[in-house]
Amino acid sequence: MSKPGSPPKRARKAPSDKAFDLWLDQGLHAMFDEVAKEPIPEELLKLIEQDRNNK
Amino acid sequence: MPLPQDDQAEATMVASAPEVSFHDLLVAALPALRQQALALTRNRADADDLVQTSVSSALAAQTSFQPGTNFGAWMARILRNRFLSNMRRRREIVDIEDAPASLLARSGGQEEGLAIQQLRHLIGKLPADHRLVLIMISVQGLSYEEASEQLDVPVGTLKCRVSRARAMLRRWLLGEDEAPKPRVAAPKPRARASVPSHALSALPAAPVMAKLGREKAGAQLERR
Repeated sequence: MSKPGSPPKRARKAPSDKAFDLWLDQGLHAMFDEVAKEPIPEELLKLIEQDRNNK
Repeated sequence: MPLPQDDQAEATMVASAPEVSFHDLLVAALPALRQQALALTRNRADADDLVQTSVSSALAAQTSFQPGTNFGAWMARILRNRFLSNMRRRREIVDIEDAPASLLARSGGQEEGLAIQQLRHLIGKLPADHRLVLIMISVQGLSYEEASEQLDVPVGTLKCRVSRARAMLRRWLLGEDEAPKPRVAAPKPRARASVPSHALSALPAAPVMAKLGREKAGAQLERR
């Protein structure tokens, strides 16, 4: 345990920091996972397939 | 003469490259590219446009891609360059820093918590390069080394950006002061955390945080 007045150790995060990080990661996934799971727009796939067929 | 081990490994990668065509690699990379585009543009329509123009650029430049090298990194560089080029062109026309939250990405509907809506808005206020690396590390699960290769930015710089982005979001969401708090004699019992309780209660994670705080306070009482 650190002495009174001595600077706190920086290696360990406070529980509230961990909780915030956990919440933030969940929030980021909620915001950005959706776009990666959606079907790719048809026109984009067509663009790629057209180029593939032209080779 | 037998090839050195490294050359053999490289030769194997190149030899197996024709099995997965350039176009297959491109299609497989699209979900991650769409996430990165959304992180950069903060807007679904702009993200779709950015991916479309990046794919067109990639198709036009496909002969410059060397099979066996990192396709994700190659595409990420094209995407980022297109974004920067678009931003330079549009800077004088639209200031999206002040775009209302309703225009940023797609809302998750009524069930979406207020805190997530707030987060959605505040993510848009982060610098674009901070936002991108935060998504690559925290959402796409890339290592700092992988992100460094994709973005051509040193690992230390990326770690600094992620740390700063998290700190900014925390400060904005929880209303914490940026300046370090003056060191004064700690009152007893010591404050559980530097997080205002009214701010915590607005977060979906409030029960978790409250539980953690109670456990910490209980441990302190036991020590006395």
